[in-house]
Amino acid sequence: MKLISSLLLMVSISTSVAAAENEPAEPWLERLANSLQTLNFSTSFVVVKNNQAEPYHWFHGVDESGDELEILSLLNGPRRDVLRKKNTVSYIEPELPPYSVTSQQISGPIPAILRGDVGKLAQTYDFISVGRSRVLGRPAQLIRIVSKDPYRYGHWLWLDQKTGMLLKLALVNRTGQLLEQIQFTHLDITSELGESLVQLQQTTLPKTIEIPEGYQEQKLQWQVNWLPEGFARINANRHRISATKKPVEFMLFTDGLIDVSVYVNPSDGNQRATDYVMDGATAVLNQVINGFEVSVVGKIPAKTAKAIADSVVLTPQVAP
Amino acid sequence: MSENKSETVSSVVDNYQANDELFEELLNDSELSATWGRYHLMGDVMRGENSDVINLELSSQIAAAIADEPTILAPRTANNFTSKVKAKVVQFAKPFGQMAIAASAAGLMVMGVQQNAVDSNDALPITQVVKPIPLGGIAEPVSLNFQPNSRTSEKQAFVEQQRRFQALLSDHQQQIKLSSVDVNNTLQQEKAEEPAK
Repeated sequence: MKLISSLLLMVSISTSVAAAENEPAEPWLERLANSLQTLNFSTSFVVVKNNQAEPYHWFHGVDESGDELEILSLLNGPRRDVLRKKNTVSYIEPELPPYSVTSQQISGPIPAILRGDVGKLAQTYDFISVGRSRVLGRPAQLIRIVSKDPYRYGHWLWLDQKTGMLLKLALVNRTGQLLEQIQFTHLDITSELGESLVQLQQTTLPKTIEIPEGYQEQKLQWQVNWLPEGFARINANRHRISATKKPVEFMLFTDGLIDVSVYVNPSDGNQRATDYVMDGATAVLNQVINGFEVSVVGKIPAKTAKAIADSVVLTPQVAP
Repeated sequence: MSENKSETVSSVVDNYQANDELFEELLNDSELSATWGRYHLMGDVMRGENSDVINLELSSQIAAAIADEPTILAPRTANNFTSKVKAKVVQFAKPFGQMAIAASAAGLMVMGVQQNAVDSNDALPITQVVKPIPLGGIAEPVSLNFQPNSRTSEKQAFVEQQRRFQALLSDHQQQIKLSSVDVNNTLQQEKAEEPAK
Protein backbone atom coordinates (compact mmCIF):
# COMPACT_ATOMS: atom_id res chain seq x y z
CA MET A 1 0.00 0.00 0.00
CA LYS A 2 2.75 2.42 0.98
CA LEU A 3 4.79 1.51 -2.07
CA ILE A 4 1.88 2.08 -4.41
CA SER A 5 1.03 5.42 -2.93
CA SER A 6 4.62 6.68 -3.08
CA LEU A 7 4.88 5.44 -6.67
CA LEU A 8 1.74 7.31 -7.53
CA LEU A 9 3.16 10.42 -5.92
CA MET A 10 6.38 10.14 -7.91
CA VAL A 11 4.58 9.59 -11.17
CA SER A 12 2.33 12.56 -10.61
CA ILE A 13 5.30 14.79 -9.81
CA SER A 14 7.34 13.71 -12.81
CA THR A 15 4.45 14.15 -15.23
CA SER A 16 3.74 17.66 -13.99
CA VAL A 17 7.42 18.58 -14.34
CA ALA A 18 7.52 17.15 -17.84
CA ALA A 19 4.44 19.10 -18.81
CA ALA A 20 5.98 22.35 -17.61
CA GLU A 21 9.28 21.66 -19.32
CA ASN A 22 7.64 21.43 -22.69
CA GLU A 23 6.76 25.08 -22.54
CA PRO A 24 9.69 27.19 -23.78
CA ALA A 25 10.88 29.97 -21.48
CA GLU A 26 12.26 32.40 -24.07
CA PRO A 27 8.89 33.76 -25.26
CA TRP A 28 8.09 34.59 -21.64
CA LEU A 29 11.30 36.59 -21.28
CA GLU A 30 10.71 38.37 -24.57
CA ARG A 31 7.25 39.28 -23.38
CA LEU A 32 8.71 40.60 -20.13
CA ALA A 33 11.22 42.79 -22.01
CA ASN A 34 8.45 44.11 -24.20
CA SER A 35 6.20 44.87 -21.22
CA LEU A 36 8.99 46.66 -19.36
CA GLN A 37 9.63 48.87 -22.38
CA THR A 38 6.14 49.66 -23.57
CA LEU A 39 3.67 49.53 -20.69
CA ASN A 40 2.60 52.43 -18.54
CA PHE A 41 2.93 50.99 -15.09
CA SER A 42 3.08 52.10 -11.52
CA THR A 43 4.39 49.50 -9.15
CA SER A 44 5.97 48.97 -5.75
CA PHE A 45 8.40 46.32 -4.74
CA VAL A 46 10.42 45.33 -1.73
CA VAL A 47 13.99 44.08 -1.88
CA VAL A 48 14.48 41.54 0.89
CA LYS A 49 18.04 40.72 1.90
CA ASN A 50 19.99 40.29 5.14
CA ASN A 51 16.68 40.13 6.98
CA GLN A 52 15.92 43.67 5.89
CA ALA A 53 13.37 45.07 3.49
CA GLU A 54 13.97 48.02 1.17
CA PRO A 55 10.76 49.35 -0.36
CA TYR A 56 10.78 51.01 -3.79
CA HIS A 57 8.33 52.79 -6.02
CA TRP A 58 8.75 52.29 -9.72
CA PHE A 59 6.95 54.19 -12.47
CA HIS A 60 7.38 53.69 -16.17
CA GLY A 61 5.62 55.11 -19.15
CA VAL A 62 5.89 56.06 -22.79
CA ASP A 63 4.90 59.60 -23.79
CA GLU A 64 3.17 60.77 -26.99
CA SER A 65 6.43 60.99 -28.93
CA GLY A 66 7.35 57.44 -27.97
CA ASP A 67 10.04 58.37 -25.44
CA GLU A 68 10.33 56.34 -22.29
CA LEU A 69 9.99 57.93 -18.86
CA GLU A 70 10.97 56.15 -15.70
CA ILE A 71 11.21 56.86 -11.97
CA LEU A 72 12.65 54.55 -9.37
CA SER A 73 12.77 55.75 -5.80
CA LEU A 74 13.77 54.18 -2.53
CA LEU A 75 11.10 54.90 0.05
CA ASN A 76 13.01 54.35 3.30
CA GLY A 77 15.91 56.37 4.62
CA PRO A 78 17.64 59.17 2.75
CA ARG A 79 16.23 59.92 -0.69
CA ARG A 80 17.62 57.88 -3.53
CA ASP A 81 15.84 58.56 -6.78
CA VAL A 82 16.64 57.53 -10.29
CA LEU A 83 14.96 59.45 -13.10
CA ARG A 84 15.12 58.59 -16.75
CA LYS A 85 14.02 60.47 -19.81
CA LYS A 86 14.78 58.39 -22.88
CA ASN A 87 18.60 58.30 -22.98
CA THR A 88 19.36 60.36 -19.92
CA VAL A 89 19.45 58.78 -16.50
CA SER A 90 19.76 60.97 -13.40
CA TYR A 91 20.80 59.77 -9.99
CA ILE A 92 19.79 61.71 -6.90
CA GLU A 93 21.69 60.35 -3.93
CA PRO A 94 22.77 61.64 -0.52
CA GLU A 95 26.48 60.99 -1.14
CA LEU A 96 26.88 63.04 -4.31
CA PRO A 97 25.37 66.10 -5.94
CA PRO A 98 22.74 65.01 -8.50
CA TYR A 99 24.17 63.95 -11.84
CA SER A 100 23.05 62.42 -15.10
CA VAL A 101 24.61 59.90 -17.39
CA THR A 102 23.79 58.97 -20.93
CA SER A 103 22.26 55.54 -20.81
CA GLN A 104 19.13 53.70 -21.82
CA GLN A 105 18.71 51.87 -18.59
CA ILE A 106 18.60 52.70 -14.95
CA SER A 107 20.85 50.81 -12.62
CA GLY A 108 18.80 49.50 -9.74
CA PRO A 109 17.89 46.28 -8.00
CA ILE A 110 16.33 44.82 -11.14
CA PRO A 111 18.86 43.66 -13.74
CA ALA A 112 18.74 45.95 -16.77
CA ILE A 113 19.06 43.02 -19.18
CA LEU A 114 15.49 41.96 -18.40
CA ARG A 115 14.27 44.84 -20.52
CA GLY A 116 16.76 44.02 -23.26
CA ASP A 117 17.61 40.97 -25.31
CA VAL A 118 17.87 38.13 -22.84
CA GLY A 119 18.88 35.87 -25.73
CA LYS A 120 22.39 37.29 -25.35
CA LEU A 121 22.70 35.34 -22.12
CA ALA A 122 21.95 32.03 -23.83
CA GLN A 123 25.65 31.11 -24.05
CA THR A 124 26.12 31.08 -20.32
CA TYR A 125 22.63 30.61 -18.94
CA ASP A 126 19.79 28.17 -19.46
CA PHE A 127 16.19 29.40 -19.42
CA ILE A 128 13.78 26.98 -17.85
CA SER A 129 10.06 27.30 -17.55
CA VAL A 130 9.19 25.62 -14.28
CA GLY A 131 5.51 25.98 -13.64
CA ARG A 132 2.69 28.11 -12.42
CA SER A 133 1.98 29.63 -9.08
CA ARG A 134 0.16 32.57 -7.56
CA VAL A 135 2.09 35.77 -6.89
CA LEU A 136 0.67 39.19 -6.03
CA GLY A 137 -2.80 37.71 -6.32
CA ARG A 138 -2.25 36.86 -9.96
CA PRO A 139 -1.51 33.62 -11.77
CA ALA A 140 2.22 33.69 -12.46
CA GLN A 141 4.68 31.72 -14.56
CA LEU A 142 7.97 30.77 -12.91
CA ILE A 143 11.00 31.06 -15.19
CA ARG A 144 14.48 30.19 -14.02
CA ILE A 145 17.63 31.67 -15.48
CA VAL A 146 20.21 29.12 -14.43
CA SER A 147 23.94 29.36 -15.00
CA LYS A 148 25.47 26.56 -17.05
CA ASP A 149 28.54 26.53 -14.81
CA PRO A 150 28.63 26.37 -11.00
CA TYR A 151 30.22 29.82 -10.61
CA ARG A 152 27.03 31.89 -10.61
CA TYR A 153 23.70 32.13 -8.85
CA GLY A 154 20.38 31.38 -10.44
CA HIS A 155 17.71 34.01 -11.05
CA TRP A 156 14.10 32.93 -10.56
CA LEU A 157 11.47 35.13 -12.15
CA TRP A 158 7.73 35.04 -11.55
CA LEU A 159 5.96 36.67 -14.48
CA ASP A 160 2.36 37.78 -14.70
CA GLN A 161 0.51 35.47 -17.08
CA LYS A 162 -1.72 38.26 -18.28
CA THR A 163 0.73 41.10 -18.87
CA GLY A 164 4.14 39.42 -18.76
CA MET A 165 5.21 41.83 -16.03
CA LEU A 166 7.72 40.87 -13.36
CA LEU A 167 6.00 40.00 -10.07
CA LYS A 168 8.86 38.50 -8.12
CA LEU A 169 12.56 37.90 -8.57
CA ALA A 170 14.75 35.70 -6.43
CA LEU A 171 18.48 34.99 -6.38
CA VAL A 172 19.11 31.44 -5.42
CA ASN A 173 22.34 29.49 -4.98
CA ARG A 174 23.07 26.02 -6.37
CA THR A 175 21.58 24.27 -3.37
CA GLY A 176 18.32 26.17 -3.70
CA GLN A 177 18.94 28.53 -0.81
CA LEU A 178 17.36 31.91 -1.23
CA LEU A 179 19.85 34.78 -0.99
CA GLU A 180 17.91 37.82 -2.02
CA GLN A 181 14.49 38.51 -3.40
CA ILE A 182 12.42 41.25 -4.89
CA GLN A 183 8.73 40.95 -4.19
CA PHE A 184 6.30 43.25 -5.97
CA THR A 185 3.59 44.47 -3.67
CA HIS A 186 1.33 46.30 -6.09
CA LEU A 187 1.03 46.69 -9.83
CA ASP A 188 -1.11 49.10 -11.81
CA ILE A 189 -1.09 49.12 -15.56
CA THR A 190 -2.74 52.15 -17.13
CA SER A 191 -3.30 53.46 -20.62
CA GLU A 192 -2.34 57.00 -19.62
CA LEU A 193 0.94 58.31 -18.21
CA GLY A 194 1.03 58.40 -14.43
CA GLU A 195 0.91 61.76 -12.67
CA SER A 196 4.51 61.65 -11.46
CA LEU A 197 5.69 60.83 -14.96
CA VAL A 198 3.83 63.83 -16.35
CA GLN A 199 5.68 65.89 -13.75
CA LEU A 200 8.96 64.32 -14.82
CA GLN A 201 8.26 65.41 -18.39
CA GLN A 202 8.42 69.03 -17.26
CA THR A 203 11.49 68.81 -15.03
CA THR A 204 14.97 69.49 -16.27
CA LEU A 205 17.39 66.76 -15.33
CA PRO A 206 20.75 67.58 -13.71
CA LYS A 207 23.79 68.10 -15.90
CA THR A 208 25.10 65.08 -17.75
CA ILE A 209 28.55 63.94 -16.67
CA GLU A 210 30.96 63.96 -19.55
CA ILE A 211 33.13 60.91 -19.26
CA PRO A 212 36.42 61.72 -20.99
CA GLU A 213 37.26 59.70 -24.06
CA GLY A 214 39.32 56.67 -23.12
CA TYR A 215 38.75 57.11 -19.40
CA GLN A 216 37.01 53.77 -19.20
CA GLU A 217 39.62 51.93 -21.25
CA GLN A 218 42.81 52.77 -19.43
CA LYS A 219 45.84 50.53 -19.61
CA LEU A 220 46.40 49.07 -16.16
CA GLN A 221 49.49 47.22 -14.99
CA TRP A 222 47.63 44.07 -14.06
CA GLN A 223 45.10 41.69 -15.48
CA VAL A 224 42.46 39.24 -14.40
CA ASN A 225 43.38 35.85 -15.74
CA TRP A 226 40.27 33.97 -14.82
CA LEU A 227 36.59 34.81 -14.95
CA PRO A 228 33.63 32.52 -15.50
CA GLU A 229 32.64 32.06 -19.14
CA GLY A 230 30.85 34.95 -20.76
CA PHE A 231 32.25 37.88 -18.80
CA ALA A 232 33.48 40.89 -20.77
CA ARG A 233 35.24 43.98 -19.52
CA ILE A 234 33.22 47.16 -19.80
CA ASN A 235 35.34 49.53 -17.75
CA ALA A 236 38.97 49.92 -16.69
CA ASN A 237 39.98 53.07 -14.89
CA ARG A 238 41.80 54.70 -12.02
CA HIS A 239 39.69 56.53 -9.47
CA ARG A 240 39.37 57.29 -5.80
CA ILE A 241 36.86 55.37 -3.71
CA SER A 242 34.48 58.11 -2.62
CA ALA A 243 34.05 56.93 0.96
CA THR A 244 37.73 56.45 1.83
CA LYS A 245 39.39 58.67 -0.79
CA LYS A 246 41.76 55.81 -1.47
CA PRO A 247 43.15 55.67 -5.03
CA VAL A 248 42.43 52.37 -6.76
CA GLU A 249 42.79 50.75 -10.13
CA PHE A 250 39.52 49.30 -11.22
CA MET A 251 37.99 46.95 -13.75
CA LEU A 252 34.33 46.20 -14.23
CA PHE A 253 33.16 43.04 -15.93
CA THR A 254 29.69 41.93 -16.88
CA ASP A 255 28.19 38.77 -18.25
CA GLY A 256 25.09 40.70 -19.23
CA LEU A 257 23.17 39.77 -16.11
CA ILE A 258 25.59 40.42 -13.26
CA ASP A 259 28.46 42.85 -12.76
CA VAL A 260 31.76 42.08 -11.08
CA SER A 261 34.18 44.76 -9.94
CA VAL A 262 37.89 44.11 -9.37
CA TYR A 263 39.97 46.62 -7.42
CA VAL A 264 43.76 46.61 -7.12
CA ASN A 265 45.80 49.03 -5.03
CA PRO A 266 49.09 49.00 -3.13
CA SER A 267 48.63 48.18 0.55
CA ASP A 268 50.46 49.29 3.69
CA GLY A 269 50.83 45.74 4.85
CA ASN A 270 52.42 42.92 2.98
CA GLN A 271 49.90 40.15 3.59
CA ARG A 272 46.37 39.94 4.85
CA ALA A 273 44.25 36.83 4.86
CA THR A 274 41.25 36.63 2.56
CA ASP A 275 38.18 38.08 4.14
CA TYR A 276 34.69 38.51 2.78
CA VAL A 277 31.14 39.50 3.64
CA MET A 278 27.84 38.84 1.92
CA ASP A 279 25.33 41.61 1.38
CA GLY A 280 22.36 39.53 0.28
CA ALA A 281 23.75 37.88 -2.84
CA THR A 282 26.57 40.38 -3.25
CA ALA A 283 29.96 39.12 -2.12
CA VAL A 284 32.63 41.62 -1.10
CA LEU A 285 36.02 39.92 -0.93
CA ASN A 286 39.32 41.44 0.01
CA GLN A 287 42.88 40.15 0.35
CA VAL A 288 46.44 41.46 0.41
CA ILE A 289 49.15 39.46 -1.29
CA ASN A 290 52.72 40.67 -1.73
CA GLY A 291 51.85 44.22 -0.81
CA PHE A 292 48.89 44.52 -3.20
CA GLU A 293 45.32 44.66 -2.08
CA VAL A 294 42.88 42.90 -4.38
CA SER A 295 39.13 43.25 -3.88
CA VAL A 296 36.27 41.63 -5.77
CA VAL A 297 32.64 42.74 -5.53
CA GLY A 298 29.65 41.21 -7.28
CA LYS A 299 26.61 38.97 -7.09
CA ILE A 300 28.72 35.85 -7.29
CA PRO A 301 29.46 33.07 -4.80
CA ALA A 302 32.41 33.81 -2.50
CA LYS A 303 34.31 30.89 -4.05
CA THR A 304 34.07 32.47 -7.48
CA ALA A 305 35.14 35.83 -6.06
CA LYS A 306 38.15 34.16 -4.44
CA ALA A 307 39.12 32.47 -7.70
CA ILE A 308 38.89 35.79 -9.53
CA ALA A 309 40.97 37.57 -6.87
CA ASP A 310 43.60 34.83 -7.00
CA SER A 311 43.86 35.09 -10.77
CA VAL A 312 44.91 38.75 -10.69
CA VAL A 313 48.52 39.08 -11.85
CA LEU A 314 50.68 42.15 -12.22
CA THR A 315 51.92 42.59 -15.75
CA PRO A 316 55.50 43.85 -16.12
CA GLN A 317 55.65 47.52 -16.86
CA VAL A 318 56.18 48.28 -20.54
CA ALA A 319 58.72 51.02 -21.18
CA PRO A 320 56.97 54.17 -22.37
CA MET B 1 -24.10 31.05 66.15
CA SER B 2 -24.82 34.65 65.37
CA GLU B 3 -22.35 37.12 63.88
CA ASN B 4 -22.81 39.25 66.95
CA LYS B 5 -21.63 36.53 69.29
CA SER B 6 -18.55 35.65 67.33
CA GLU B 7 -17.74 39.35 67.35
CA THR B 8 -17.86 39.39 71.11
CA VAL B 9 -15.68 36.30 71.17
CA SER B 10 -13.22 38.18 68.99
CA SER B 11 -13.21 41.14 71.33
CA VAL B 12 -12.71 38.83 74.32
CA VAL B 13 -9.75 37.22 72.58
CA ASP B 14 -8.28 40.67 71.95
CA ASN B 15 -8.81 41.60 75.58
CA TYR B 16 -11.18 44.47 74.78
CA GLN B 17 -14.07 43.17 76.85
CA ALA B 18 -13.67 40.92 79.77
CA ASN B 19 -16.51 40.17 82.21
CA ASP B 20 -17.62 36.96 83.88
CA GLU B 21 -20.93 36.83 82.07
CA LEU B 22 -19.27 36.54 78.72
CA PHE B 23 -16.80 33.95 79.92
CA GLU B 24 -19.65 31.97 81.40
CA GLU B 25 -21.49 32.04 78.08
CA LEU B 26 -18.34 31.05 76.23
CA LEU B 27 -17.72 28.09 78.44
CA ASN B 28 -21.30 26.86 78.22
CA ASP B 29 -21.64 27.16 74.47
CA SER B 30 -19.44 24.52 72.88
CA GLU B 31 -19.59 26.22 69.50
CA LEU B 32 -18.51 29.53 70.91
CA SER B 33 -15.68 27.98 72.85
CA ALA B 34 -14.50 26.25 69.67
CA THR B 35 -14.58 29.63 67.93
CA TRP B 36 -12.61 31.08 70.81
CA GLY B 37 -10.06 28.31 70.41
CA ARG B 38 -9.83 28.87 66.64
CA TYR B 39 -9.29 32.62 67.08
CA HIS B 40 -6.45 31.96 69.47
CA LEU B 41 -4.93 29.48 67.06
CA MET B 42 -5.15 32.07 64.28
CA GLY B 43 -3.42 34.58 66.48
CA ASP B 44 -0.71 32.06 67.31
CA VAL B 45 -0.15 31.22 63.68
CA MET B 46 0.00 34.88 62.72
CA ARG B 47 2.57 35.50 65.39
CA GLY B 48 4.47 32.50 64.17
CA GLU B 49 4.02 30.41 67.31
CA ASN B 50 2.85 26.85 67.58
CA SER B 51 2.59 26.44 63.83
CA ASP B 52 3.48 22.74 63.99
CA VAL B 53 0.20 22.08 65.69
CA ILE B 54 -1.68 22.72 62.45
CA ASN B 55 0.87 20.98 60.33
CA LEU B 56 0.37 17.82 62.22
CA GLU B 57 -3.36 18.04 61.83
CA LEU B 58 -3.15 18.82 58.09
CA SER B 59 -0.79 15.96 57.38
CA SER B 60 -3.00 13.52 59.20
CA GLN B 61 -5.99 14.80 57.25
CA ILE B 62 -4.15 14.48 53.95
CA ALA B 63 -3.07 11.01 54.89
CA ALA B 64 -6.69 10.17 55.57
CA ALA B 65 -7.72 11.65 52.25
CA ILE B 66 -5.10 9.61 50.44
CA ALA B 67 -6.28 6.51 52.20
CA ASP B 68 -9.73 7.20 50.79
CA GLU B 69 -8.37 7.65 47.28
CA PRO B 70 -8.22 4.19 45.53
CA THR B 71 -11.58 4.59 43.80
CA ILE B 72 -9.96 7.02 41.35
CA LEU B 73 -7.88 4.21 39.82
CA ALA B 74 -10.92 2.53 38.42
CA PRO B 75 -11.76 4.92 35.52
CA ARG B 76 -8.21 4.53 34.14
CA THR B 77 -9.02 1.22 32.58
CA ALA B 78 -11.86 2.81 30.67
CA ASN B 79 -9.43 5.40 29.28
CA ASN B 80 -7.08 2.70 28.11
CA PHE B 81 -9.86 1.05 26.24
CA THR B 82 -10.74 4.14 24.21
CA SER B 83 -7.12 4.87 23.36
CA LYS B 84 -6.73 1.30 22.09
CA VAL B 85 -9.66 1.79 19.76
CA LYS B 86 -8.16 5.06 18.58
CA ALA B 87 -4.83 3.41 17.81
CA LYS B 88 -6.56 0.95 15.55
CA VAL B 89 -8.27 3.71 13.62
CA VAL B 90 -4.97 5.56 13.21
CA GLN B 91 -3.31 2.47 11.80
CA PHE B 92 -6.03 2.01 9.27
CA ALA B 93 -5.80 5.63 8.13
CA LYS B 94 -2.00 5.67 8.04
CA PRO B 95 -1.27 5.29 4.31
CA PHE B 96 -3.43 8.29 3.51
CA GLY B 97 -2.20 10.18 6.51
CA GLN B 98 1.39 9.63 5.48
CA MET B 99 0.81 11.08 2.08
CA ALA B 100 -0.79 14.09 3.59
CA ILE B 101 2.11 14.40 5.97
CA ALA B 102 4.60 13.98 3.12
CA ALA B 103 2.89 16.73 1.17
CA SER B 104 2.77 19.07 4.11
CA ALA B 105 6.37 18.21 4.95
CA ALA B 106 7.37 19.17 1.43
CA GLY B 107 5.52 22.42 1.87
CA LEU B 108 7.27 22.99 5.16
CA MET B 109 10.61 22.29 3.54
CA VAL B 110 10.01 24.91 0.91
CA MET B 111 9.00 27.36 3.59
CA GLY B 112 11.82 26.19 5.79
CA VAL B 113 14.39 26.75 3.09
CA GLN B 114 13.22 30.29 2.64
CA GLN B 115 13.13 30.84 6.35
CA ASN B 116 16.60 29.42 6.74
CA ALA B 117 17.95 31.53 3.98
CA VAL B 118 16.70 34.64 5.64
CA ASP B 119 18.03 33.54 8.98
CA SER B 120 21.44 32.63 7.75
CA ASN B 121 21.64 35.82 5.73
CA ASP B 122 21.25 37.70 8.90
CA ALA B 123 24.10 35.84 10.47
CA LEU B 124 26.33 36.01 7.44
CA PRO B 125 28.05 39.34 7.86
CA ILE B 126 29.25 38.29 11.27
CA THR B 127 29.92 34.60 10.96
CA GLN B 128 31.51 34.60 7.57
CA VAL B 129 34.14 37.11 8.42
CA VAL B 130 37.36 35.18 8.57
CA LYS B 131 39.45 36.49 11.44
CA PRO B 132 41.79 39.09 10.06
CA ILE B 133 45.51 39.01 10.66
CA PRO B 134 46.51 41.82 13.09
CA LEU B 135 46.71 45.29 11.63
CA GLY B 136 49.80 46.09 9.67
CA GLY B 137 50.04 42.54 8.41
CA ILE B 138 52.95 41.60 10.67
CA ALA B 139 53.50 37.87 10.80
CA GLU B 140 52.58 36.32 14.13
CA PRO B 141 55.41 34.87 16.21
CA VAL B 142 55.22 31.11 16.22
CA SER B 143 55.05 30.34 19.92
CA LEU B 144 52.59 28.63 22.15
CA ASN B 145 53.03 31.31 24.78
CA PHE B 146 52.34 34.13 22.40
CA GLN B 147 49.11 36.00 23.01
CA PRO B 148 47.67 36.62 19.55
CA ASN B 149 46.47 40.18 19.93
CA SER B 150 44.56 42.23 22.35
CA ARG B 151 40.83 42.41 22.04
CA THR B 152 40.75 46.09 21.18
CA SER B 153 43.08 45.82 18.21
CA GLU B 154 41.06 42.85 16.96
CA LYS B 155 37.92 44.92 17.25
CA GLN B 156 39.61 47.81 15.50
CA ALA B 157 40.69 45.57 12.65
CA PHE B 158 37.15 44.27 12.39
CA VAL B 159 35.65 47.75 12.26
CA GLU B 160 38.25 48.82 9.73
CA GLN B 161 37.46 45.80 7.59
CA GLN B 162 33.72 46.47 7.76
CA ARG B 163 34.31 50.05 6.68
CA ARG B 164 36.48 48.84 3.81
CA PHE B 165 33.74 46.44 2.68
CA GLN B 166 31.09 49.14 2.88
CA ALA B 167 33.21 51.53 0.84
CA LEU B 168 33.86 48.87 -1.80
CA LEU B 169 30.19 47.96 -2.02
CA SER B 170 29.01 51.51 -2.57
CA ASP B 171 31.83 52.21 -5.03
CA HIS B 172 30.89 49.06 -6.96
CA GLN B 173 27.32 50.31 -7.29
CA GLN B 174 28.56 53.77 -8.25
CA GLN B 175 30.79 52.43 -10.98
CA ILE B 176 28.00 50.31 -12.42
CA LYS B 177 25.88 53.44 -12.75
CA LEU B 178 28.69 55.30 -14.48
CA SER B 179 29.52 52.49 -16.86
CA SER B 180 26.00 51.40 -17.71
CA VAL B 181 26.34 52.84 -21.20
CA ASP B 182 23.96 50.40 -22.76
CA VAL B 183 25.37 47.06 -21.79
CA ASN B 184 23.35 45.43 -24.52
CA ASN B 185 25.52 46.91 -27.22
CA THR B 186 28.95 46.81 -25.65
CA LEU B 187 28.72 43.25 -24.44
CA GLN B 188 29.54 41.61 -27.72
CA GLN B 189 32.19 44.12 -28.79
CA GLU B 190 34.66 43.91 -25.95
CA LYS B 191 36.13 40.72 -24.68
CA ALA B 192 37.60 39.96 -21.30
CA GLU B 193 41.35 39.77 -21.09
CA GLU B 194 42.35 36.29 -22.18
CA PRO B 195 40.02 34.19 -20.09
CA ALA B 196 41.51 31.12 -18.40
CA LYS B 197 45.12 30.38 -19.16
